[in-house]
Amino acid sequence: MSLFSGFNISASGLTANRMRMDVVSANIANANTNRAELVDGEWVPYRRKSVELSQSGTSPFANQLQSAMNRGNTAVTGVNVSEIREDQTPFTLTYDPEHPDAGEDGYVRSSNVDPLKEMVDLMSATRSYEANVTALNASKSMFMKALEIGK
Amino acid sequence: MNIFPKSLETMEQALSASTLKQRVHSANIANVDTANYKSKKVDFQAALDTAMNQQSLSSYKTDNRHLSFSNEAAVGSTKVLTNNSTQYNNNGNNVDMDVEMAELAKNQLWYNAVTERVNGKLNSLSSVINGGR
Repeated sequence: MSLFSGFNISASGLTANRMRMDVVSANIANANTNRAELVDGEWVPYRRKSVELSQSGTSPFANQLQSAMNRGNTAVTGVNVSEIREDQTPFTLTYDPEHPDAGEDGYVRSSNVDPLKEMVDLMSATRSYEANVTALNASKSMFMKALEIGK
Repeated sequence: MNIFPKSLETMEQALSASTLKQRVHSANIANVDTANYKSKKVDFQAALDTAMNQQSLSSYKTDNRHLSFSNEAAVGSTKVLTNNSTQYNNNGNNVDMDVEMAELAKNQLWYNAVTERVNGKLNSLSSVINGGR
């Protein structure tokens, strides 16, 4: 059913944006985490994570199948989260020799989360989520209208 | 004898074109944050031609290599086109959210209008069947 696939496309957008929000939440929650993972016996602070989105069904086979089924048309597909990447920018350094995690030079390495970036990401994810909800509602009302045919 | 009017078929085509449009706009909206995604649109002219040419002469083909008449559209010629010419974002994405939303609303209203007309046709048909009662 082609109208249902419209539902699925919007649903994939909702899932992807929910994932973005989850990642932003994790970043904000861990903004002050100094001990995220143990590497070679040394604690490494939390690294900011970001979501990479890609058009779903872009594998060569899925693409070929889709275009064969659509008589050579471009594939119309949703979105999915292809990767959650770690931000490799350097950690912030603060001078605090008394801190238990301070290095020999007296500096404490802490996470590279920038609250400003997170808030912008959060806003963008929220708006995209809302847009997908609107699209879903539009599809739904069209479907309801189609059910009225012949009544 | 065909009791269903020809225009009903045309409207069926219009509804399926509208469904495809809805799907394409949903996909554009879902991919608004996808890097290097290029917005797609339904070639409405092709869809309209397909619907309109139901009235015109159709060629009789005994082999799939036979050519169509020049004014005859091949069945199912609704094309999804990709717009590669513009760029809005610095991540290579060119989905214009305002356009997508407006098109979505337009498409929804159009779908409702066509459904309404299909209903009208069917109602008048049933009125004929019931002898005007």
